Amino acid sequence: MSDTQWEVYEVFHQKARGEPHVHVGSVHATDPEMALVLAKEQYARRMACVNLWVVRAEDITASAYADADMFQHATDKSYREAFGYKVVKKMRGKKGEGD
Amino acid sequence: MNQIALKELLFRLADDEVIIGHRNTEWTGLGPIVEEDIAFASMAQDELGHAQIYYSLLHALGEADPDRLAFLRDASAFHCAQLVELPKSDWAFSVARQFLYDAAETVRLAALSQSAYAPLAQAARKFAGEEKYHFMHGKTWVTHLGQATAESRARMQAALDHAYPYALGLFETAEADAAMAAEGLCAPEVELKRVWLALITPILTEAGLALPTAAPVEGGRRGQHTEHLTALLNDMQLVFRSDPEAVW
Repeated sequence: MSDTQWEVYEVFHQKARGEPHVHVGSVHATDPEMALVLAKEQYARRMACVNLWVVRAEDITASAYADADMFQHATDKSYREAFGYKVVKKMRGKKGEGD
Repeated sequence: MNQIALKELLFRLADDEVIIGHRNTEWTGLGPIVEEDIAFASMAQDELGHAQIYYSLLHALGEADPDRLAFLRDASAFHCAQLVELPKSDWAFSVARQFLYDAAETVRLAALSQSAYAPLAQAARKFAGEEKYHFMHGKTWVTHLGQATAESRARMQAALDHAYPYALGLFETAEADAAMAAEGLCAPEVELKRVWLALITPILTEAGLALPTAAPVEGGRRGQHTEHLTALLNDMQLVFRSDPEAVW
């Protein structure tokens, strides 16, 4: 059976200028314009919002979960994580806000 | 300030909004896709919210409270245009109506934001953001359905032909209109209609749809309605009328 659904668009929501756009979900739509119209009521109805992005899911190039092991470190590389810096702690703390 | 003209203007605004809002909630659970179902229901809620604020302005001028104004008046006391009371029909018709109605509301709110009655001007400015989205939504659907397939274009055109004469009725005038314009409550209907036509014509053309030529269907502003309004009110007012003193 052929898929009768419209294409999937991934939706990214920005709650204030300067904040990152955060992936919040997806909508079915015929094209980007319709995707924005539909995304507004699905994802910006309750949260504060200043900007939405929609991206055709097909246009995203993703790594394979089978390759997840490539993200693992074979040896201790915690020196890369720069935990010692106050500014990093502050940023990571902020990122956790409102999650 | 001319209270009769002001109240009549507010009743038109409030009654248009409460009836189109109620009508569009009839799509809840029946929308063409779930995302649109949610979007359409949410816009219907916006319109009901606007109606509540307009009724509150009437209440401040000595009329009954918003619930009583919405739920205890009979059809002949409503000042809505007949466009908003027509059955929801198929999706093409509801889209055509929403587009024509929200284009008119966009134009009207811009005029009302300059109203000499400050509480009304303030309300109009408050509604501008929601209305911007409603118009974008209507425009997007009309353009897409007009351009998609021969069938969707034909159904969109038929829906437009049906809705258009009633949409012209949004600009009907009555005795109070001279005072509304003279007191600066709102721009004259003839001027709003001119701006509305300039707004919708290029969008319909781009959608591959023809602007119908038809005489306006009027009467709504004078309390003359189709049988559909009575049926709608029987449904909408049923619960409130069963116990008007109940505390919710």
